[in-house]
Order: sequence, then C-alpha cells, then structure tokens
Amino acid sequence: MFLALRDLRSSWRRFILVGLVIALVAMLSTVLVGLTNGLVKDGTSGLRALPLTHLAFQPGAESVFSRSTLDRTALDAWKAQPGAEASPLGASFVNAASVGKGPNVDLALFGVAEDSFLVERPEGRAALQGEPGLVLAEEVRDEGVEAGDRFRFAGSDLALPVLGFTFAGSYGHVPVGYVSLEQWQKITFGGSGSDRFSAVALKLPSGSDTTAVNKAAGTELKTKEQAYSGSPGYSAETATMSLIRFFLLVISALIVGAFFTVLIVQRTNQIGLLRAMGASGGYIMRDGLGQMTIVQVASTAAGGSFGVAIILLLENGPVPISLSMPGVLAACAYLVLAGLVGSFVSIRRISKIEPSVALSAGQV
Amino acid sequence: MSAKGDTPAIELRQVDSTVPDGPGRRTILDGVDLSVAPGELLAITGPSGSGKSTLLAIAGLMRRVDGGEVLLEGRATVELRDRARTALRRDRIAFVYQAANLLPTLTAREQLELIGHIRREPRREARLRADRLLADVGLAERAGQLPGEMSGGERQRVAIARALMSRPAVILADEPTASLDPNLAMEINELLAARAREQGPATVIVTHDEISAGLADRRLHLLEGSLRTSPEVALRP
Ligand SMILES: Nc1ncnc2c1ncn2[C@@H]1O[C@H](COP(=O)(O)OP(=O)(O)OP(=O)(O)O)[C@@H](O)[C@H]1O
Ligand SMILES: [Mg+2]
Repeated sequence: MFLALRDLRSSWRRFILVGLVIALVAMLSTVLVGLTNGLVKDGTSGLRALPLTHLAFQPGAESVFSRSTLDRTALDAWKAQPGAEASPLGASFVNAASVGKGPNVDLALFGVAEDSFLVERPEGRAALQGEPGLVLAEEVRDEGVEAGDRFRFAGSDLALPVLGFTFAGSYGHVPVGYVSLEQWQKITFGGSGSDRFSAVALKLPSGSDTTAVNKAAGTELKTKEQAYSGSPGYSAETATMSLIRFFLLVISALIVGAFFTVLIVQRTNQIGLLRAMGASGGYIMRDGLGQMTIVQVASTAAGGSFGVAIILLLENGPVPISLSMPGVLAACAYLVLAGLVGSFVSIRRISKIEPSVALSAGQV
Repeated sequence: MSAKGDTPAIELRQVDSTVPDGPGRRTILDGVDLSVAPGELLAITGPSGSGKSTLLAIAGLMRRVDGGEVLLEGRATVELRDRARTALRRDRIAFVYQAANLLPTLTAREQLELIGHIRREPRREARLRADRLLADVGLAERAGQLPGEMSGGERQRVAIARALMSRPAVILADEPTASLDPNLAMEINELLAARAREQGPATVIVTHDEISAGLADRRLHLLEGSLRTSPEVALRP
C-alpha cells in the first residue's frame, strides 16, 4: 500500500464526503443496534430475570403464554425429570384499575407458587405467602403508584393491595407484576379459580434428555431464548430492525462501490501508468482496496463512536435503547465488509485498463 | 545476459499492427523490422499519426502485435501471457513520456521508491538508489517535492531518473521533450544520451525535432507503416 498511504496523506480531502456518508451509516447502524437491544430488553427483561432455563408450553402455543394452558398432570410429569426443578407459571396481560385516586396501569401479571424456585429472594417469598397482594416492577412506582394502593382487575371482583416494588422488568413492553399463583388463577379464571396455569417453568441441568418426559407431559419445550419470541411484538420488532440494518448494509455496499468505481475511472491514467511500470493487477487492486479499507475503518470507527455516544445519552430516558458493545462491533464489522464487497464489484475494471493509456495520456 | 554484446536489447521482426477503423481495420505497422543494441541510442521520427507511439507500445510489451515477433534480450514475447509480459516490463523496460506522467501525490523521491516497491526491492536500498539517481539528474535538492511544486523540466528529469530506477535493458521515450522549451529539450536529450552511454540500456527516442534526433547514434523514419533510414528523401514532396 505504498501508493495508497501516500495518496491518503496528501489528498485526504477527496475522501471527506464519502467518509462522512460512511460515518453516518455507521452511526445509524450503531443506534439501531442500541434500539434493537433496548426493544428486546423492554420486551423480554421480565422473562429474562426469572431464574429458569426452559419453559414447557401447551403444544402449538409457540411460546405465547396466552395460547397455553396446562394443568397438574403436566407439572407432575415434569417434576419426574431427574435433576430438574419445575414450577407452575401463570402469565397474562391485565389492566389494573386503581381503587382510589392513583393511576390505572397495564401489567404483565406473573402468578408464581410461594415455594417456587422462581422466587429467589426471601422477602419475595414472604410477600407471596402473607396477605394476598401485588409486587410490582420499579417502573410502576415511577408512574406514581405507591405501596398500599389497591387495584381491581378487569373481569374480576378481586382487589389487591400493592405490597412493594422489585426489579421485575417488563414483558411485551408492559411492566411485570407478581401475585401468588392462587390469586392469578382467581384473576384469570374468575370465581374461585381453577388449578390451571400457563406454562411449566423449568430449571434443567444442561444436557438433560427431556424427550421422554416432554412426551409424557404432553407439552412443547422451549429454551428461555426461544421463549422470547412469544413476547408480543418481539418477532415483528426484531424483523423490522433486521430489515433496516440489512438495507443499511446494502446502502453501504452501494455507496462504497459507487465511490470506488468513480475513483478507478478518475485514476484510469494513473492505473495505466502503474501497469506500464509493470505493477501487476493484484498490486494495484491491493493498493486500491487497502485504501478503501482504511477510509472505511476510520469513518466507521468515527460514526460508530458517535452512535455509542448517542446511545449512552439516551439510555436512561424514555426511549428503549441499550448499549451492546459486541453488537455494535459486529454491526460495524459487517458495514466494512459490505463496503468491501461493494468495492469488489468494480475491481475488475482495474484489470481492464490497458497499460498503453499511459502513452496516450499526455497527448490528449 | 550471456552474450550481451551480440544479442539486441530489443528486436522487432516483421511486426504488423492494425487499429479498428470503421467496419474494418487499418494497418499502422506493416512488417516492421527493428533491432536496437544495448547502449545504442536510436531516434525515430515520422509524421503525426504514422504509428510511432504504437511502435513504442509494441516494443514495450504494452500492446499486442497482429503479426510478427518481438524479442526482448533475445527472448520471444509474443506468445507470453499478460502476467509474464507485465513482469518483463517491470524488470527490463522503462518508459519516458511526453508529459512527465508523475503520480501527483508522490514526492520526487517516492516516484522512484515506488518502482522499488513494485519490484519488491528492500526499502533502504531503493531509497539510497533513488537519492543517487536524483542527484545524477541534478535534483538532489528537490527530492521531497511534489510534482505540482516542480517545473516542467524538473518533472521530466524526475521521469528520467525514474526510468533508470529499475536498471532496464530498454528505455522507450515518446517525445520526451515535446512540451519543453528548446534549451530544456536539449538538456533532457543530452541527459538521456549520457545515461544510455554510461549505463547501457538501449534507448529509443521518438521525436519531432531534428536537433534531438541529431544526438542519436542512428536515426529511422516511420512512414506509411515501415521504417526507413533516410527521412530527408521521404519528406521531399
Ligand atoms: N486504440 C486505437 N484505436 C484506434 N485507432 C488508434 C488507436 N491507437 C492508435 N490509433 C491510430 O493509429 C495511428 C497511429 O497512432 P500513433 O499514436 O501511434 O501515432 P504517432 O505516430 O505516435 O502520432 P503522434 O506523432 O501524433 O503522436 C493513428 O492514426 C491513430 O489514430
Ligand atoms: Mg505519438
């Protein structure tokens, strides 16, 4: 890259515009990574926070809690799985209407048994075992809800007090609230409730063979990560974000490719001269691609850093955005790669330039 | 390099060359024979459009012939693939153009170092020789300057130093002085002639002016596709 480096040294100005565009695309990609990450977190943090490894759903539920109802037989079957911890989990979306002056809130209501492995903290256990009540995600407190406020649930006569707040996260972009399984069943099925729940939460040792038990239980087993896709909006959001990022990659490839093509055309005489000097096609291509790589890496780094700064600035605001450094680095690497692919398309032009243009160059 | 004395540095045998012309092709060179010995300085004159640049491009392995053979230091080249011809250009042939054809972003020294880089020569060695060659053409002081900061004559002298950088067997110069004033032109011609005699490359200069041609060991005139020895006769109406 003898020529490329010296060329950048004295004619870096010609790369400003393309560098800016690349940086802008990199910034956008980075912010998109942050948004994707933020949305995923917002959609699944409640589920993520639970200490489970797998969920067993009703077959055909596709990880959607509202499509899944199981009973004791499934739970008992799973309890027979060696080394496993199994516990019923009720999950539904409810509107909690304030009894009094406070605001109404939407909740992703998780019903868990008092003795469940899902409840790790002693105070959580105590709360679920005592007087019936709600333990809510911290976010709800920010909306003005206080401990002691009472809520009535749509479709049931039950009114429950808020016992306290915890880091429960959110599910499907709705804050999570915990109740005992018993209360959840009353809220969900009405009357005195029924002994049903949404899914079996499982903590399985890694490498467990679950086929037999899963068959006996008559359930559909999903890993925790697979179950994220059941969160409302999750698939649509990630698909949208992936599509936008894909378009940015294509744009990047097109921009860099177009710029490189123009650069090659502008340098026709110079390339002819190099070929006349006996430089091989490979030498000239390495030089050109090397130069584009330097420009891309520098611009992408600048744009990516700017994007990271934006994410950090917005991170604790109302926009669901969250920094994932590996994600950002991967996105930036893909951008550079896409740009290189774009450059490759025009690289064949180099070998088509005849050395003899060097002889006619001065005479035109 | 065994029989350097006998083997011509460059030899053209019955070379034909045509260019596309409307539906058919037009003959530019018609059975041209040419042989230049190492250390010899040959001047080629001829009217504009007669094919002088075409002849240099063929001798410099930049353009393929439509018939005949081109031998570089006794080695037939017509059948060689592009890759091999490129390597021969790199190692045995150098060009000097009408415009200096320097790379605008390289300093005078780097113009020469680039040749070393293409030839994968050790950096330090290339740099030392670059500086020596620049000093030889009287440009030791200009080594760090860009082409835009030099005069036309200085640029052309850099181009000559660059041509010598690879220790070529053949230097092909296409009207190297056409865009310089007569004094400078003389200076450049004398420089090329002196280098040819001292360092031994066969040098072919295409030129329009009689004085430059007068410096040469031998003169040929290109007209209607063939080389002749007596331009005066050919030019007479
Ligand atoms: N690539 C090409 N395609 C078509 N015609 C060409 C091509 N290259 C050269 N020619 C034609 O071949 C003829 C010889 O061109 P060449 O450049 O060799 O002449 P020249 O003797 O160097 O002329 P000048 O003294 O003006 O430089 C010209 O008529 C030119 O138009
Ligand atoms: Mg010419």
